[in-house]
Amino acid sequence: MTAARWPWLLGLTLVALAAGLSLGATRIAPGAVWAGLSDPAAGAAPIIRELRLPRVLLGFLVGGSLAVSGAVLQALVRNPLADPYVLGLSGGATLGAVIAISAGLTSPWAVPFAAFAGAMATLLLVYRLSLVAGRRLDSHVLLLAGVVVSAFTMALVTAILMLVDATRLQNSFRWMLGGLWSASWITVRMFAVYGIVPLGVLLLNGRSLDLLALGEEQARHLGSDPERVKRVAYLATGFLTAVAVATSGAIGFVGLLVPHAIRRIWGPLHTALLPSVFLAGGGFLVLADALARSIAPPVELPVGVVTALVGVPLFAILLKRRLA
Amino acid sequence: MASPALSFRLLNAHLQGPGDGRFHLKPVVGLLVALLAACGTRANQSAGSLVAVDDAGDTVRLAQPASRVVSLSPATTELVFAIGAGDRLVGRTRWCDFPEAARAVADVGDGIPPNIESVLARRPDLVLLYRSPQNSDAAERFRAAGAAVLQLDFDHLEDVSRIARLLGPLVGHPAQGDSLATAFDAELARLRLPSDDRGAPTVLLLAWDQPPMAIGAGSFQSEILTLAGGRNVFADITTPSATVSIEAIAARDPSLILVSDSGIPGFARRPEWNVIRAVRERRFVHLATPAFGRPSPRAPALVRELRSLLAERRP
Repeated sequence: MTAARWPWLLGLTLVALAAGLSLGATRIAPGAVWAGLSDPAAGAAPIIRELRLPRVLLGFLVGGSLAVSGAVLQALVRNPLADPYVLGLSGGATLGAVIAISAGLTSPWAVPFAAFAGAMATLLLVYRLSLVAGRRLDSHVLLLAGVVVSAFTMALVTAILMLVDATRLQNSFRWMLGGLWSASWITVRMFAVYGIVPLGVLLLNGRSLDLLALGEEQARHLGSDPERVKRVAYLATGFLTAVAVATSGAIGFVGLLVPHAIRRIWGPLHTALLPSVFLAGGGFLVLADALARSIAPPVELPVGVVTALVGVPLFAILLKRRLA
Repeated sequence: MASPALSFRLLNAHLQGPGDGRFHLKPVVGLLVALLAACGTRANQSAGSLVAVDDAGDTVRLAQPASRVVSLSPATTELVFAIGAGDRLVGRTRWCDFPEAARAVADVGDGIPPNIESVLARRPDLVLLYRSPQNSDAAERFRAAGAAVLQLDFDHLEDVSRIARLLGPLVGHPAQGDSLATAFDAELARLRLPSDDRGAPTVLLLAWDQPPMAIGAGSFQSEILTLAGGRNVFADITTPSATVSIEAIAARDPSLILVSDSGIPGFARRPEWNVIRAVRERRFVHLATPAFGRPSPRAPALVRELRSLLAERRP
């Protein structure tokens, strides 16, 4: 199993993309799916080109980014429980979104923009809190700062929800569950513009993260600047997570489970780990979303429910196999 | 789902209308109550003559009609006023905004779950609760504090007349409760159209847009739409509402979309929503009245308003 990494991952990616395009609330035959892709005048073209294709692309980008962020943060804070939300960004994003929803802002961009602003504000706050004496970025303080800031923003969210209109309250909770229902070419483009730089930075810094994993002292001896690596990695994961949360809410489990699964199968070296985690996370989320959309039509399940229901048993099997 | 039409019948003998023969209580209790009630007159109700079973299956006994009522749902608040017992209300939720006089009643906060202390501070002898797992603990505490508690399923149009009949005697207005119920049922019956719905406009009842949520057949809003001559495109969803995909909406291809806000809704500017023909063609109907948010005695008026709105938009 340790061999053949890339054929497996590329296969998963292709299967996921095909499933994401073929499955949905309406049944479209494979031939019609292809016709809809290649011919703008075909009957299925609006659904395939305007709904499913952007949704699959956004799902792939978001899933891959969450998984890469999770992998980097697990290395950065040296804690296997770390996931992209450990920095408190989802709390900040939720706070922004809930403020926009309860203020009754009707612009279609109000909620994603407010969520992004909330996540970025949290990112900077946690970053500032974690700079011990303004110089050194301490991983343990980083974790603590993320937890307390998250608790604070969620308390604010609850307080706001208790004070606004009941239907809005219920609907804000649904936003928090996360999902890819807002996918369109605009959100895909938004992700491409804002997500590509932090994603590139993380993927190119695999070697520095490998050195950091040896310990800060070791890394320094080997010619790396751990302080700089930590800051860059932290800001890049934070920015990437903020973009993901702003476009699709807080989707759970991808960022936590996928990096562990890939490490268990192919080992912990970041240079190859990060691209693999990106493909696996993207493929996994696209598959989970295809299931969420098509399992009980016309009702759509929250994709976070599917990622947990499918991801946790898969992960349990992986854990068992390794121990056995 | 409980069957609300059956589960809640008042046993005050002289109040029972014709055709009202479905009892759920043990026969002994029923006989006892009937005997007691037969001894009294309408003007002079004897002690213990008011007995009811609520939708949780609990039996409620009142020595005399309640004079200090706390209503913990906007629907029951509106109904208590509609049967002329508004002066007996000593507490309401912060969502109870109709009729205007309801705003003058003391606000005790939320209804699901309620604040026990602020409700008991009103010293109620009857508390009206929406039946929900979140409220069962509160019901127990109110009962322990000596108040009678009714847990009610108030989700459908038929609940309006059912609950009006049951509530009337408990709040000292049996005749009004009964006449409101009779008039309401008669009006709905008049409004009911022949079952043939060919040519009925297909309508999406949109509850929310992020994520897209549609009203299903389990909601009274869907009943109002049907009475108004429209067809809910998500009538196969049996719950009150559900998250659906834009793709599912596009496939159902509604001819109209019913929204609560006026103007072109914000989501219509998003490209993915424009896959739906009715969004592209800006075929929106606005029903702004808050009465659309709860089953209420105003439903027949609402049906007529929606019917004329649908007629205006007929191609």
